[in-house]
Amino acid sequence: MSGLNVLDLTSNAAGPYCTRLLADYGASVIKIEIPNSGDPARKVPPFFDDGESGEGSSLFMFLNTGKQSLTLDLKDKRGLEVIKKLIINADILVENFRPGVMKSLSLDYESVRQLNNRIVYTSISNFGQTGPHRDWKGSDLVLYGMGGPMINTGHPDKEPLQLANYLPSFHVGATAAAATSIALWGAEDTGEGDWIDINFFETLMGHIDRRSTALLNHQYDGTISTRPPVAGTPGSGIWPTADGGYFFTTVLANRFPAMAKMIGAEHLLEDPLWATPRARAAPERLDEFSAMVILWMLEHTKTEIRDEVEKAGVYGGPINNIGELLQDKHFKERNFFQKIKHPVSGSVIYPGYNFRMTVGDHEQDISDRRPAPLLGENTDEILSNQLGMDQSTIESLRKAEVV
Amino acid sequence: MASKDKPHKKLPLEGIRILDFTVVWAGPFATQLLAEWGAEVIRVESTKFFPSTTRGTLARPSKELVQQGGIGGYPDKDPGERPWNRAALFNVHARNKLSMTVDLTNPEGQEIFADLVSKSDGLIENNAIATMERAGVSWEKLSKINPEFVLVRMPAFGISGPYKSYRTFGSHMESLVGHYSLFGYQGETPEASGTSLFADPASGVAGALAFMSGLRHRRNTGKGIQIETATAENFVNQLGPHILNYSMKEEIPEYMGNRHPVYAPQGVYPCKGEDRWISITITDDSEWEKLSSLIGEVELSENDDYDNVEKRRMNHDVIDKHISNWTANHDSIELMNILQNNGIPAGAVMNEKDAFEDPHLEQRNYWEELTHPEAGTYKYPGVLWKSNAIDNKLRRAAPRLGEDNEYVYKTILGYSDEQYEAYEKNGHIGMDYDDSIQ
Repeated sequence: MSGLNVLDLTSNAAGPYCTRLLADYGASVIKIEIPNSGDPARKVPPFFDDGESGEGSSLFMFLNTGKQSLTLDLKDKRGLEVIKKLIINADILVENFRPGVMKSLSLDYESVRQLNNRIVYTSISNFGQTGPHRDWKGSDLVLYGMGGPMINTGHPDKEPLQLANYLPSFHVGATAAAATSIALWGAEDTGEGDWIDINFFETLMGHIDRRSTALLNHQYDGTISTRPPVAGTPGSGIWPTADGGYFFTTVLANRFPAMAKMIGAEHLLEDPLWATPRARAAPERLDEFSAMVILWMLEHTKTEIRDEVEKAGVYGGPINNIGELLQDKHFKERNFFQKIKHPVSGSVIYPGYNFRMTVGDHEQDISDRRPAPLLGENTDEILSNQLGMDQSTIESLRKAEVV
Repeated sequence: MASKDKPHKKLPLEGIRILDFTVVWAGPFATQLLAEWGAEVIRVESTKFFPSTTRGTLARPSKELVQQGGIGGYPDKDPGERPWNRAALFNVHARNKLSMTVDLTNPEGQEIFADLVSKSDGLIENNAIATMERAGVSWEKLSKINPEFVLVRMPAFGISGPYKSYRTFGSHMESLVGHYSLFGYQGETPEASGTSLFADPASGVAGALAFMSGLRHRRNTGKGIQIETATAENFVNQLGPHILNYSMKEEIPEYMGNRHPVYAPQGVYPCKGEDRWISITITDDSEWEKLSSLIGEVELSENDDYDNVEKRRMNHDVIDKHISNWTANHDSIELMNILQNNGIPAGAVMNEKDAFEDPHLEQRNYWEELTHPEAGTYKYPGVLWKSNAIDNKLRRAAPRLGEDNEYVYKTILGYSDEQYEAYEKNGHIGMDYDDSIQ
């Protein structure tokens, strides 16, 4: 994406994850922030400092790595003039205001297109730019519950469960980055830009977790799905281990013999009660086999089990926590976790890139990226270098709190 | 934005041909997104190899097994003559794609494959490393045939490192990289939380973005590229804030159920009926005032124990009980409408029926109908985002195994009728899996 100019009018989580991806692959991203307060994500805990500076939020630091910050009051006429000048040279504009806000700022797609008709303008919202739910409010939980497979997440006897914080937002943000990239490919070909309307509800409804398959299947046979048991087939489940952890296995029908062998129960295979997949599907067999698996699991560590399931061709993974992940030999060997130095928060561990493009012999490192910008860090630089504004004009804008 | 009078414009990826070696969900979602916007995606399959959990879990499941149901089922719970053309698991994502068959395990198949590579822009795969070695897919080889080729590889743990050969579904990879330590019911162990499959769609999106980045690289440099999308690394990136948090305090957080790190209250509350729920997130004091007055209990609305977010977080358990008692008397869809009309972020936890009945999706023409010759006519989630310039619609239903063999062998590769017949005889071309495959 090198050489592309992105105007980033997003805040919170979904929009910033989209523009972070564009920045990671080389685009120059200017983040427009409200003077004095900035992106509300700056105030989201936990903080590397006391939280007062607006610079130490881990969420903000993660999402805005590699971007530049320009503070600008878009409600002020002079602020609007600045953004309009930046629009002329932009390839991409991404925004995640509530539908209608960009129009009230005279920055809706039609107005922007008058200034630059090759721009790709991506709008990210809860429910889309049209339709009866357009102005409804959302949160990751609310939108995952409506659009995503939350009805299938969690325990069958308990309420549906959300996943790790921010995943729905980041998924929608990443999808918006893909959408933007595809639209840009077309725009560069035809010379005409586009307006992309992407939202949580529809993105989650059509994504390929359990949901989209379940939607087709519902029409196939009328099934209304719910939360499935983890132990659906003999040997599948989440098991306690000898080292005080847990291990998760899924045993497909054709791997049962290997699993039985793995836990030293190959004698079962000669017993007619266990010999066929159909016989093994009986609930009593499921319970009996679980009892045998637990005993075996409790005698082995997560690492031992991982090696054994690999040999048996059984799908499985240890339930690790983030501390264990950071020590994991695979990620260490691939040098995935790296530090970025931040002026307020110090040296902080970051995960590496979403995908690796090895160009020539140069492996790009996440540690080469600039840290998330301080509020307004690049204001002077952008106004003077890109717009040719002189120092006294910048000072008068600053005095008026336009920047 | 979709209007009928939009002029027909070509889709952005028209003219891009992608060889699709993807299986299960993660890879197929990448090619689904690219096919949606005009790429010609050709699934390269074989009548002699049935990749599990792609065109169904088994090639020929018994009628009995299919009767048991599950989300990856068949029309009318009937596997039909060719179950692999009827599986929901496959038909949902393979729309707009083409299917050809070739046996890559012999030299003749490899020659056909080389021809395909020379006439295509790229290839996307998400298989175990050994499977791709057997199929003859490597950057070294493909880049020699076509120096402008874009190869996107999506094995779970990447193409190097100690775990590169691990066979895994997305859900076990999520477990290994720490996701299962980040969601769960308060005070419970991981056994209670069930499993997550969120890495599959996340990986699919990354694969599509990676392919687009590869195309841009090729245009800028004139050279092809191999892009490695280790789905584990992509997913760990999406756990980013949790990594930074650990870096800050070296603490393992406790399970927070459905609560929010900043706002309170937030939860999933029971509604009238079986397995009916509503999610509510209160993001400020005025939303709380509104909610508590709707609930109508003086103990909530006129209690200064709850008048700011810190206090509400401290008293979250008590508040949850009050909310649950109230929601339990309401229909989840009705209550969602009432709460949203009062400016409160709330949503029914929707099942399949709720989704198809939602007026918003209906009015935005989200569902699109497609007719499949062996499965029937059904509604599919449509194109995932809308374009102002192009009224983009789904073009065709999922391809039957080998449905596009004639087009691929004769039109794209230019083989004669005689050659086509010979390839058919030699086991490359067909529409049925080998009888030996269960």
